[in-house]
Amino acid sequence: MIRLVLALGFTCCLTLASVLEPRFEALRPQSGEDSGFMGALMGETRQLFATQSFIEADVYFHSGYYPSMFDTKEAVENLDVNVKETDTNHVPLVNGRRHEQEEPGEAFLGPSRDWMERFGRHFMPTEHTHLANAKVSEILPWLRVSADLDPHRIQTYVTASYWLRTTLNQADEAEQFLREGLRANPDSYEILVELGYVFDQNKKNPRIARNVFDTALQKWNKQAAAGLESLPQEKREFMEKAKIEILDGLVRTDEELNDLTQLLADLEALKVVSPNPAGIEKSIQETRAKLAAPPARPN
Amino acid sequence: MNNVFALAGVVIKELYRRKDFYVLFVMTALLTLLLWAMRFFDNADIVRFLKEICLLLIWISTLVIAITTAARQIPAERESRTIFPLLAKPVSRWELIAGKFAGCWLACLVALAVFYFFFGVITATREHAWPGAIFFEAFWMHAVFLAIVVALVLLGSVLFTAQSSNATISFIVVIGILFAGGHLNKIAAGLRGINGDIVRALHFAIPQLQWYDIRDFVIHDWQAIGLQYIGGATLYGALYTGLLLGLTWLVFRHKTLTL
Repeated sequence: MIRLVLALGFTCCLTLASVLEPRFEALRPQSGEDSGFMGALMGETRQLFATQSFIEADVYFHSGYYPSMFDTKEAVENLDVNVKETDTNHVPLVNGRRHEQEEPGEAFLGPSRDWMERFGRHFMPTEHTHLANAKVSEILPWLRVSADLDPHRIQTYVTASYWLRTTLNQADEAEQFLREGLRANPDSYEILVELGYVFDQNKKNPRIARNVFDTALQKWNKQAAAGLESLPQEKREFMEKAKIEILDGLVRTDEELNDLTQLLADLEALKVVSPNPAGIEKSIQETRAKLAAPPARPN
Repeated sequence: MNNVFALAGVVIKELYRRKDFYVLFVMTALLTLLLWAMRFFDNADIVRFLKEICLLLIWISTLVIAITTAARQIPAERESRTIFPLLAKPVSRWELIAGKFAGCWLACLVALAVFYFFFGVITATREHAWPGAIFFEAFWMHAVFLAIVVALVLLGSVLFTAQSSNATISFIVVIGILFAGGHLNKIAAGLRGINGDIVRALHFAIPQLQWYDIRDFVIHDWQAIGLQYIGGATLYGALYTGLLLGLTWLVFRHKTLTL
């Protein structure tokens, strides 16, 4: 009798589960994307791990010299691994690494509090250095992991591409990674700007680069139309700088293509947002003069 | 001294008869080889990621081996009642403690040597260079770390009744010290009154296990640490190990062993 009741109970549970499961599934918010195995396994926590992986790339960039959770940290946006221009404050390479003008223990470590801490510092990196040349490739696995964990983390694609196309001279890999980022973030103007640099500076193809910068500008305008003024100050400043970068890319490619009419139009647009309107005005005058000049006769 | 070596020999034999070491080594090797086969952005020179994961697995594996091996020594002897004939003359309680410690530590050293040999071969194939002095320093510091851990667990095995509770508490204490031990003085600086004094006292009292974790030097190719500092840390480790073993003996000497 007990067995029969148990079997009936089990059958009821199974029937109920098979009826309710599709209904509960339909109630869940549909994101419209397949988050894959990692998404199913880790859920939203993967964003946290993605940021941590990105920070780990910065730890590698500093060869392990890095503040712990007990020390003062920098915001993710200010990490050195994000550096986009050669930092002139850094003194030249020493033993293949960049040394900052900083004495050991002057930065986040501070002076030793006791003899035990003083002695313990012999067993941890205490010199602020940056990876240089081919060694920069050591940060790439963490950026790859970060992108796998959170494909919507745009900063990861831009940073990886920057190091791949500049120091490591791997433009094809940079392009491939950026295209992967673009598939996950089709509205990202940041990724398009970086892709534009790959075509312009590495692949020396200004025509494609111009098209990419132009698409970036369209994406930027679309986002700005959604309400630039309502954004926080920091985000607004970031977008304004990005627009200058996009227009600067357009101007450069126009010059390379010798498309003076388009160059004039882009310079006019750049003048409105540039921090140096006088310099842009001078370029506009020069371009107008070139346009007005009669075409040179062939001998 | 012969009694100590005889006891140590039994513990070492126990290590290679049990499956713990083999399972941990195979897992470490498989995971490392899997990473070794991976290519990031078609770049064959990337090695630090591989070194980091491999060393982390080695640290976890050796910690598990050290704690589980040391934690079961005295309770197992009591449960199987072999401790009574063992403690009959001429083996004294001090010799039993010393023999168990020497056996556990030497067993850990054997395991450590196998793990580091594997690590050295894997990194050499990727870096195309043999490991430098820092590699041997890392091995030695790791060995000293394990000596302190083994002594700490042996003390736990005479304080706690159950083997499992000793192992669990030892894991928590060791990982806690590795994680926060070096920062207790910073925490103390932020506390006022008696709380700050307690944390500061704790900072000086606990063994500074994080000194022996010099993985960052190996991973990021830093220059070797001065031998005087390695010697200082070894002396500190030896003193702490001696202190812990002395405490173990003091507790064990007065312990009534019942059936």
